[in-house]
Amino acid sequence: MSHKENTAEVESSNMTGTEDPTNDEMLVQTDVSDGLSASTSVSETTNAETIIRADDINVWYGDEQALQNISMEIPENSVTAMIGPSGCGKSTFLRCINRMNDLIDVARVEGELTLRGKNVYDDDVDPVALRRRVGMVFQKPNPFPKSIYENVVYGLKIQGIEGDYDEIVEESLKRAALWDEVKDRLHESGLDLSGGQQQRLCIARAIATDPEVLLMDEPASALDPVATSQIEDLVEELAEDYTVVIVTHNMQQAARISDKTAVFLTGGELVEFDDTQKIFENPESQRVEDYITGKFG
Amino acid sequence: MATQSDTDQIQGFGQVSRTTGVIFRYLLMGATMFGIVTLAILLVYVANDAIQPLTADAGWYLVFFVTFVAPTTLVGAYLYRTNVDALKLGLLVVGMLAVTLMFSGGVAIVFVDIVPPLVSLSYAIGLLVPFAAVVLMTKYEDAIPFTARVAATGAIFFLSLFGIPGYYHSIPEMVQKIPVVPTEWVIITLVFGGVVAVVVGQYFARIRENTRAGVVAGVAALAATGAAAVSGMFTGVNPTALAVVAAGAFVPTAAYAGGAALTREEERIGLLLAAVVIGGSLVGAGIVDVLGFAGPQSWVDWQFLTSSHSGTAENAGLYPAIGGSILLMVTVAALSFPLGVGAAVYLEEYAPDNVFTRFIDVNISNLAGVPSVVYGLLGLGVFVTYLGQPTGTVLIGGATLALLILPIVIISSREAIRSVPQDMRQASYGMGATRWQTVKNVVLPEAFPGILTGTILALGRAIGETAPLIMIGAPNVLFNLPTELSSKVSAMPLQVYAWSSLFASEDFYTKAVPAGVVVLLAVLLAMNSVAIVLRNKFESES
Ligand SMILES: Nc1ncnc2c1ncn2[C@@H]1O[C@H](COP(=O)(O)OP(=O)(O)OP(=O)(O)O)[C@@H](O)[C@H]1O
Ligand SMILES: [Mg+2]
Repeated sequence: MSHKENTAEVESSNMTGTEDPTNDEMLVQTDVSDGLSASTSVSETTNAETIIRADDINVWYGDEQALQNISMEIPENSVTAMIGPSGCGKSTFLRCINRMNDLIDVARVEGELTLRGKNVYDDDVDPVALRRRVGMVFQKPNPFPKSIYENVVYGLKIQGIEGDYDEIVEESLKRAALWDEVKDRLHESGLDLSGGQQQRLCIARAIATDPEVLLMDEPASALDPVATSQIEDLVEELAEDYTVVIVTHNMQQAARISDKTAVFLTGGELVEFDDTQKIFENPESQRVEDYITGKFG
Repeated sequence: MATQSDTDQIQGFGQVSRTTGVIFRYLLMGATMFGIVTLAILLVYVANDAIQPLTADAGWYLVFFVTFVAPTTLVGAYLYRTNVDALKLGLLVVGMLAVTLMFSGGVAIVFVDIVPPLVSLSYAIGLLVPFAAVVLMTKYEDAIPFTARVAATGAIFFLSLFGIPGYYHSIPEMVQKIPVVPTEWVIITLVFGGVVAVVVGQYFARIRENTRAGVVAGVAALAATGAAAVSGMFTGVNPTALAVVAAGAFVPTAAYAGGAALTREEERIGLLLAAVVIGGSLVGAGIVDVLGFAGPQSWVDWQFLTSSHSGTAENAGLYPAIGGSILLMVTVAALSFPLGVGAAVYLEEYAPDNVFTRFIDVNISNLAGVPSVVYGLLGLGVFVTYLGQPTGTVLIGGATLALLILPIVIISSREAIRSVPQDMRQASYGMGATRWQTVKNVVLPEAFPGILTGTILALGRAIGETAPLIMIGAPNVLFNLPTELSSKVSAMPLQVYAWSSLFASEDFYTKAVPAGVVVLLAVLLAMNSVAIVLRNKFESES
């Protein structure tokens, strides 16, 4: 189990290469059915701000390159937004973090991506164990065709997490701002909810297992303004306990809720990554400014 | 002038193309209707031979017209105009009664003549005990390693079913040795009727949200089964068979109708149709009996269904073939379902997309089109010649037919699995589920109705196959029901074939053969209607 020292140079000038304590064992799991509980594995990192570090990530779908030399550092307990034109690889990058790309036959990932210092692409990392620590909410609401209650406890059951399920369900639904609307019909199908409610149910499902990182791929793209602002409030609230990485096409949304913003541009390159305020007020690159002001993209 | 000739031309063209279109349309319609009409004529012809409707008295027709046809038509037309959903409910109840009667009749044959209730019960217990142990073990699945669990599962099942010869009896043996054995119908009433009663009780407890209602319904269901069995002792009908039919057909249908009456206020008027159909036919039968009007001299009658082959067409029957077909279907289902679904899950969820899997893919599609004679040859070659099994047994026949429908089961199961949205799998994997957990918790539950529909349709194909059975040496004439997997087996299509070839005579052609065909088609129709109802239910839910 060797953790390669991270000495590679980072492209972006505004990145400070902080070294974080290694935490190798956490992802390594030989028998999944042992039921690694994500909630027990939050480490007491005090000095390290960075939780996810991407280092020279390249992704190909067959012969087509979707991401080029992406390097960035995502700080803990914050909201990091990914913006950029359609097809520039935002979802692809998100899927690199929890290795959902493994499920796509033609996808190939090169480079290093560390979660708390452990490269998730090391051979001894079980992607299933990784996904138990990195929750995901998808662009399209995708509740299971089961009851609302069963949807929320799904992760607990498959991960073998024990506890008072009723309480966890109530708490997760409350955090996802859905409890009041569904508390009287927990045993009705999750598919009978409206689109916005379904998306909040998916968020409740993702946070029920208490992951360390929450990836959200355009969670509000199919929702009306009211539901969208509910989700935005929720994201800001979640950032107190979780690290949230969110993809969005909505500039105002990124500006409102995120601490850091990454701008991808066509061809799969990361053009700029900085504090959100800086990106929106005083971007380094002309292309980013053009994109943000709507001149192109 | 110019305008005039222009419109002329346009009209002319329009006329020509319209004629072509009309001709083409009717040609296509003719092509569509040709097959259907030909088949319909053939079926009417066969049914006429088998049932001989014209031999009935005019009085018989009159009585049934008054008690059955007229009220049914009136109620049906009224419902059709006012409340189509209610009509559907009524038809569903009538259909459910017909189909469950047919299937529980089959189950009754099994209990009465193939596997005695005590033996079935002993094996049921022998399977239930280890199953309970395994379920218990999954509770502690974290504490016991996977391989140990697999080994323990195998050992428990083996010990329970086979025991250790000389040292320790298997559970079925122990059950069969119990000194005080209740009579067969008591066993059936308590076990089969008991299970049905529990299900009915839970159903009513749920819809009434009241445990007492459930208990009352359950006790009533059990009492009804017992009463049916006891009535058999006075009327001379086999009480075991009556208990099975009551528990398998009357009680479930009544429970469904009762549940609908309680919960579906809008549609419960439709139950009137069921009442008119059932009541009308009973009343009609009673009046005809009292007045002495003779019904049609149908060749499909009780005697035909319950006796075996005979030298004269009038006395010939289908009973051993019906029993054989039932046993074959059970064997085929038990073999092809797990194999087919397993292969489908592997190919859809696990197999990588490479040359090898594509090769398998193409070949499964090809295998689905291989003539059944070839499968018969395969069965003969593999099981009889190579493995040295005796010819024509239930096991060999079932295995050969299972091979025959395996590609169809695989293809339809894959279809069902593929129709589970990719989103669902992503959601599950995203939560940190393993592949197996995703398959078990998300994919299979969603795909199950589709898999079941496909399997039933495939079984329908197997039940009508003759050639493979001839190839593996199934006997043409059998006078007793097969009682074990290693007994010789006949089947309905094989018996019909034997009547029309070996015993070819005017008599068999016009009496036994049509009757056999009608029974076979009725069974097929019942199976397909179950599949269609399942599919519609599934589609309207999603
Ligand atoms: N499963 C796949 N197979 C092949 N190519 C893919 C696959 N998924 C994405 N791509 C390609 O990779 C590139 C990046 O896609 P990605 O989905 O990451 O873009 P995106 O930034 O999320 O776009 P959007 O904003 O429209 O969601 C695109 O050119 C796309 O065609
Ligand atoms: Mg995307």
